[in-house]
Amino acid sequence: MSSSTAPRTTGSPPPAAPRRSLDPTDLGSAQKLMVFVLSMTLFGLANILTEVLPEVKLGPVELSVSYLAFVPVVMVCLFHPLYAALGAPLGEIVFVDLLMGDFSGFAELEGYIQLALGLYIAGSLVRDPLRRGRVALAAVVAVGVDKMLGGIVDIGKVYVGVADAEYVEGLAESVLLLEGVAFSTDLLISGLLFGALPAAYLAPRLHGRIEPLLGLAPRDPARPLRLRARISARFLLLGVFLTFVAMIAAFVEELDANFGVWEPGFIDQYGERFLWIGVSAALIVLVAVVLAARASARSRAARAGAPR
Amino acid sequence: MTAPAPHTGPAVEVQDLVFRYPGAADDSLRGVDLTIEQGDFTAVVGGNGSGKTTLCKTFNGLVPHFWSGTYSGTVRVFGQDTTETDVAALSHRVGYVYQDFGNQLVRPTVHDEVSFGPVNFGLPDWRARTEEALDTLGIASLSDRYTWQLSGGQQHLVALAGVLAMRPGLVVVDEPVAELDPQRAEEVYRRLADVNRRLGTTVVVIEHHAEFVARYCRSVLLMADGAPVWHLPVAEALARTGELAAHGIPAPQVVRLARAVEPEGEVPLTVGQAVGWLSARAARPVPDAGPASPPEAPAPANAPHPPGPPVVAALRGVRHGYRTVHGGLTPVLRDVDLELREGERIALVGGNGAGKSTLLRLLTGLKVPRSGTAEVTGTDTRSVRPAELADRVAYLYQRPEQMFLADSVRADIEMYPRGRRRPDTDALVADVLDRIRLSALADRDGRTLSGGQQRRATLGIGLAMTPALLLLDEPTSSLDTATRDDVIAMLDALADRIRCVVVATHDMHLVAEWATRVVALGEGRVLKDAPPAEFFADRELLDRVRVVPPQITALGTALGMVPPPLTVDECAGRLSTAVQEAGA
Amino acid sequence: MKRTERDTLSVEWVKLELLRTAYATRGGLLARLDPRVVLFWYVLMAASPWFTHNLTVLALLFALAAAAVVTCRVGPLVVGLFVFGLITETGYLVTAAWFFDGDLTTVLSLGELTLKLGTVSMASMAAFVSLDPEKLSDALLSLRAPALVGFGVSYGYRMLPILVDEFQTVIDGYRLRSAPPASRGLFGWRVLLRGAKITVYAFYPMMLNTAKRTRTTVEALETRGFTYAMVHSDGRRIRLAHLRVRPLDLAVLAVTAALIAAAYALGAQYPTSARL
Repeated sequence: MSSSTAPRTTGSPPPAAPRRSLDPTDLGSAQKLMVFVLSMTLFGLANILTEVLPEVKLGPVELSVSYLAFVPVVMVCLFHPLYAALGAPLGEIVFVDLLMGDFSGFAELEGYIQLALGLYIAGSLVRDPLRRGRVALAAVVAVGVDKMLGGIVDIGKVYVGVADAEYVEGLAESVLLLEGVAFSTDLLISGLLFGALPAAYLAPRLHGRIEPLLGLAPRDPARPLRLRARISARFLLLGVFLTFVAMIAAFVEELDANFGVWEPGFIDQYGERFLWIGVSAALIVLVAVVLAARASARSRAARAGAPR
Repeated sequence: MTAPAPHTGPAVEVQDLVFRYPGAADDSLRGVDLTIEQGDFTAVVGGNGSGKTTLCKTFNGLVPHFWSGTYSGTVRVFGQDTTETDVAALSHRVGYVYQDFGNQLVRPTVHDEVSFGPVNFGLPDWRARTEEALDTLGIASLSDRYTWQLSGGQQHLVALAGVLAMRPGLVVVDEPVAELDPQRAEEVYRRLADVNRRLGTTVVVIEHHAEFVARYCRSVLLMADGAPVWHLPVAEALARTGELAAHGIPAPQVVRLARAVEPEGEVPLTVGQAVGWLSARAARPVPDAGPASPPEAPAPANAPHPPGPPVVAALRGVRHGYRTVHGGLTPVLRDVDLELREGERIALVGGNGAGKSTLLRLLTGLKVPRSGTAEVTGTDTRSVRPAELADRVAYLYQRPEQMFLADSVRADIEMYPRGRRRPDTDALVADVLDRIRLSALADRDGRTLSGGQQRRATLGIGLAMTPALLLLDEPTSSLDTATRDDVIAMLDALADRIRCVVVATHDMHLVAEWATRVVALGEGRVLKDAPPAEFFADRELLDRVRVVPPQITALGTALGMVPPPLTVDECAGRLSTAVQEAGA
Repeated sequence: MKRTERDTLSVEWVKLELLRTAYATRGGLLARLDPRVVLFWYVLMAASPWFTHNLTVLALLFALAAAAVVTCRVGPLVVGLFVFGLITETGYLVTAAWFFDGDLTTVLSLGELTLKLGTVSMASMAAFVSLDPEKLSDALLSLRAPALVGFGVSYGYRMLPILVDEFQTVIDGYRLRSAPPASRGLFGWRVLLRGAKITVYAFYPMMLNTAKRTRTTVEALETRGFTYAMVHSDGRRIRLAHLRVRPLDLAVLAVTAALIAAAYALGAQYPTSARL
């Protein structure tokens, strides 16, 4: 070192300890913003892709990738679920609906809330992104919640929009058929094929690599989110699910009332079968949730019992 | 928010600064003591990873406010302790232009972008500030354009204008040359010098290129291992050629030439000074070309002349362009005929947007020409899929992170041979890793490597494809000079494996030191196809293709050397007799 | 198989789409209004059909929305897609109702819903074709929507071409470096599978590279007072200073409100119901 910047020998002694050592798990406003922006950008990009992916339409049944669910699911698994969940659906609105000229007013708001809620619940269920099973489950939950809420809204529209909807013959069945089919295909394609499988592949690979790029500490399974957040997530999941079941139940009641009018035959079975797809999808979600809750309770118990 | 009060002390004072990023094993800054006076134009130099950028981020408070880590010591900017003011307040005093300035632009139009800061801070004179910043940089005419429509150089000026609109006392610019072509980088420097002179703004640039430092800066801060080595006036700093070279910053070529002529004493910093300096020492070029210089008129053996070595790839009557808003075509290549032959090292030059990357992509088959044909080893690129063509052509992108698809360097290198089920994959990958000297780091993600290692890793990816034709897009951009020389040496060593190498580049040192043939693109055509010496002798053409020749070549031209020398040694050799005569 | 140049999912394509959106305002009536008034107009129109089951009213409102679409010079493509969607939707509902043994009542009931949803869709077409994204975000900002929405729009404008460019590069890298399938398989399923796999794999480098970009962007936002502006309102005031409600704006709102009222009045005179 040359004379011009030689270490000074005068002055006060250097402070004994570093003046500032912040807890890396503490999320500053900038870090929150970063997670939000990243999640928004990536999901926006993913949606541009789904715009150009081909869709197969078989009558009312649309076999298409409604979104690449694995992208935001990976985000909520790796980062703080709230900010990632708030960012992702905005990405869809901004990048595709606004910039590509397809904005639809109130419907966007519905979509935003549905997906954000689904993602937040899903992210809160994951404690360790390295556990593929949990990540996959999160993807199914995220899509499931989003689509259940979507179904509730659609059915609600029929109730509000049609005069004395419950007395119109065939109406409930038609709507339920449509919703059931949409729900099952979405859960299969978006939730499983483009949700659970890729997310379970990507999340463990990105864990520990992507966080330092944002100056964040990786999510540490030993230091989970606050318990309150996790409990409220489960509570929300239960709430959404119950509302959905209640909605279906109300309609099934309509069906019961109308069974007498129906002529038994091929058509009814056909309709019923589709109905059962929707119901069984909901059942799958319920079972999954119960399993998840049990697994997490078990691991919590194990941790509590472990010596400190 | 009020305007900062005038301050009489130094612009920046740093004392005992130590900083470590969260989770990092070592300190990034270890004991920095430093003073930068107001009105200075300081260059921060040092090898990749010496802590330059981290240091500059302490000036505007991003460290430690934004990057929480272990921090001790003090940084005072215009007398204010940065730990006691927040980033927003500091941004009135310090502006920062990033190396990846494109990501710094957040608004759609230029005017919005420049007024973003003043509007956010609710400054009542935001309109005046915006106009002023745009005028200062001479980009008022771009005001209503969308930022993504601009060229890289214009984007850089917009980023700078956005920073200047806050009327800061200090502007930090991180590596302006890295992503710009030389003429545009020159423009950025001229504007910075103008701001520094007229407004008295203190300017700090992070720079690898000693030539820009020599021409525009007043003082030089050499960083190594997270601490300053020295901070000296520019002439004194650049005279320490040995020390600079040891830290990966070889001195400007005229300085090296001067040292070759005279080992001690003052040195010239620019081409103009060098002409005077040499004439004062009666050093003149030998009237007849010396032994090192090839004869002027007939092209040397390596120039393209039929019937030469076999053709590896050819473009015939190629036209290509892009769709515009109105559905029309913007032509990029109008009519290109080109034959690439075995054993050639071809440099493709031309300004941003001249069609260099388009030409390379046509050769990979990723794009096919809208008319005309592109052939690689005799196969029309239209007739096969790009994946099949990849057996013969490898294309390495400008930004290494775009090449890192897998989660380790090894996985990236073996992706191609493993996918094609090459029986000798393991041996091939081991050999490639060995050649690029990355065996020890093979299991790391490419992104975590240093700049030079990243380039070597991408070269390894190309090598493992064992192509006949290797295409590289800007392989030396944003590398410090030592790392760049390393990459050039590696390119040299590839000669035995690959039949023909094409490099698209702005780096005229690479052209001068490595290429055997230069193809200059402009106006959608091949404007010149010649050996480097002949290319650099054509001054009118250099302007047309927006090329700034290496200092030594420019000096040779100024001294009337025909053809101009390509390296310092060659120039010294052709001068030496005259110097000896003068001495005798 | 001879390949030729394609123009979809490329940077140029995205840039063109962006420009089309940005300049899509063809100077219709609503485009000349204050964006907040346009939003208010949309709320008025979108809410109007939900308070009645009277088919006459609904038909009139539907016609009103259709007139708005014409006034706002919505592009033929958008209108075409809407009409197509409307027809197939109706067709499906009729078939489904017949399937489940419904009668004319069912069809009319479903028709009622279609009329309502159609009115809302057309209102949103008319309104949002007249607002470019920047205007919309100004309007939302002035109505106290979170600042991040406005930022998202600007940032999207800025980043979309760059991101698509990078994604294309990464996909190209996979296309070149991973082995092509030996055969196409039944219905080309191997090709489809490879495409899907590459799409997923491509997000590994994309996520990491985008994270790096985001870091610079958010740092820049921080130094340029974005977070400051989220707390202090001076910047917001300056940004929205250009918004002004003029007599024309009020006139358009008044006329719309009057027409909606007229539709209800007329419907009360000549009621039609889905219940026969």
